[in-house]
Amino acid sequence: MTDLPTAIRTVRWMVWDTFRQSLASKLFWVMFGLTALCSVFCLGTSVDIPGERRRHPAEIPDRLPVTESSPEAEQSGIPKGGGRMRLGFGLFETPVPKFRDDAVRFLQVWLAGILADTVGVLLALVWTAGFLPSFLEPQSVTVLLAKPTPRWTLLAGKYLGVVLFVALHAVLFVAGTWTATGLATGVWDAVYWLAVPLLVVNFAVFYAFSALLAVASRSTVVAVFGTILFWVLCWAMNITRHHLVGFDVAGVTATSTVLVEVGYWVLPKPLDLSGIFFEAMRAADFSAPVPEFAAVRDKDAFHPLASIFASLAFAAAVLALAAYEFRKTDY
Amino acid sequence: MTAAAVFEGVEKVYATGLLGRGAGVTALRGVTFTVPAGGVFGLLGPNRAGKTTLVKLLLSLAEPTAGRILRLGGPLSDRRTLARIGYMHENHAFPRYLSAEELLSFYGGLSGVRGDALPARVDHLLNRVGLADRRREPIARFSKGMVQRLGLAQALLNDPDLLILDEPTEGLDLSGRLLLRQVVREFQAATKTVLLVSHVLPEVEELCDRLAVLSGGRLIYCGPLAELVRDPHDPSGRRRSLEAALRPLYEKETPA
Repeated sequence: MTDLPTAIRTVRWMVWDTFRQSLASKLFWVMFGLTALCSVFCLGTSVDIPGERRRHPAEIPDRLPVTESSPEAEQSGIPKGGGRMRLGFGLFETPVPKFRDDAVRFLQVWLAGILADTVGVLLALVWTAGFLPSFLEPQSVTVLLAKPTPRWTLLAGKYLGVVLFVALHAVLFVAGTWTATGLATGVWDAVYWLAVPLLVVNFAVFYAFSALLAVASRSTVVAVFGTILFWVLCWAMNITRHHLVGFDVAGVTATSTVLVEVGYWVLPKPLDLSGIFFEAMRAADFSAPVPEFAAVRDKDAFHPLASIFASLAFAAAVLALAAYEFRKTDY
Repeated sequence: MTAAAVFEGVEKVYATGLLGRGAGVTALRGVTFTVPAGGVFGLLGPNRAGKTTLVKLLLSLAEPTAGRILRLGGPLSDRRTLARIGYMHENHAFPRYLSAEELLSFYGGLSGVRGDALPARVDHLLNRVGLADRRREPIARFSKGMVQRLGLAQALLNDPDLLILDEPTEGLDLSGRLLLRQVVREFQAATKTVLLVSHVLPEVEELCDRLAVLSGGRLIYCGPLAELVRDPHDPSGRRRSLEAALRPLYEKETPA
């Protein structure tokens, strides 16, 4: 058995080594540079809404941008309103809802919920995918494996190091863009900080799978492409399940339904994580929801906490499998 | 005194093929011998004799297929005994982004050297291997000889009872080799154990008290060096070179 202080000490050293590796490979500065770029972009945000006023608590959501006209909507009494938001010091201009808060949240949902949660997480997975395979090269790891520390602590330390590295950048990204947007628009919505756990959980779950591939193959290429394929599979499974359940699709056999349900609960659920963030940001007030997500919500077939815990359980199981494989591997 | 290592009927077959279901490659066949505590024990043999595999098994880098191994009196499952072992590997690739000082602190931390003892030990070893003036330079800038010196320093971090040197002089210059011999002699004087795996026969002849010779995964000799190099055809017991002593052993094992 491993004594706890030894395990903690090993994990701490491995985390330190991962941060040194990220600094030496310039990855730290590349990610920091992207965050700085996004923050400067946000600093150049301005919102111009003629006749601006505060939202009334009982007011219906405004989903009709000022540039669009819909006779049905106008007949239904939905007011046409809103203004324009300039981004990046006038580089882009986009129509926005009639409330400043909504306009800023609209930008933040795009930044954290769509840009960082998809492109950002994928880039982080690709950029960090080489950390474990290079560490696990026999020429690099044999002397470390001959130390008294158990193998699983080395793997856990490296995994945790990468997750903490990405968590640090998630914090920097959210802090930078939140501060810049706040300074530029005067809107300081703390709910945006929920993006940090969203991004970290999303990354940690898929990086666990990347770690398993790295241990099994010791190849960066396999880890990168295998993880991307798995990410696509999980999105597809997540949307398919919500589509089947939400829209009562006809002609689907009971077996298929059970298989999809099992696949949904076993695999990570990236759409659900995004959905939780969108809901927290009250995205329905200013943009159309994802139809599948709205449908399962209406049918009470979406359980946010269970979804998060199931995704985390998947990561834990995959990491345990990776640790077992690592322990059994001959060097 | 507890033996440094005991090998009893050790076999190792490396799995091959998809999911390890191939016939496998046999690296060791029924190897039995003891490395006594104290002194310098040489492990010799031609390429693919199984020397490195034996060291890997002793260090829990691989698991034996059959047989029993005791490491410093304990079973392989007890990793605490690894805290009393130093291991220097000929071609180890240290993280190139770390400096010599950072690497020794990192490896020392994982070797169980704690608290204030760690910086003092790192400092002492950097001086010992002649890298004190390059302590903050990244390893990427080091020559092979300097990396080997660093490898020796990391093997000594925990002040081990058993020092395993796998082809240690590879890439070392004259002063590096002299340093290594000095370290080995200090271990000898302190009645600690050195397990030396080497192809450099004069070095083995100079340093080792006892030898184990492997060929084709089998043990073909285990005993005192003096006995092996004594010429059996010379009634006066004149010494022959180690190379001359090993040649007939290897030829017997390897059909022409």
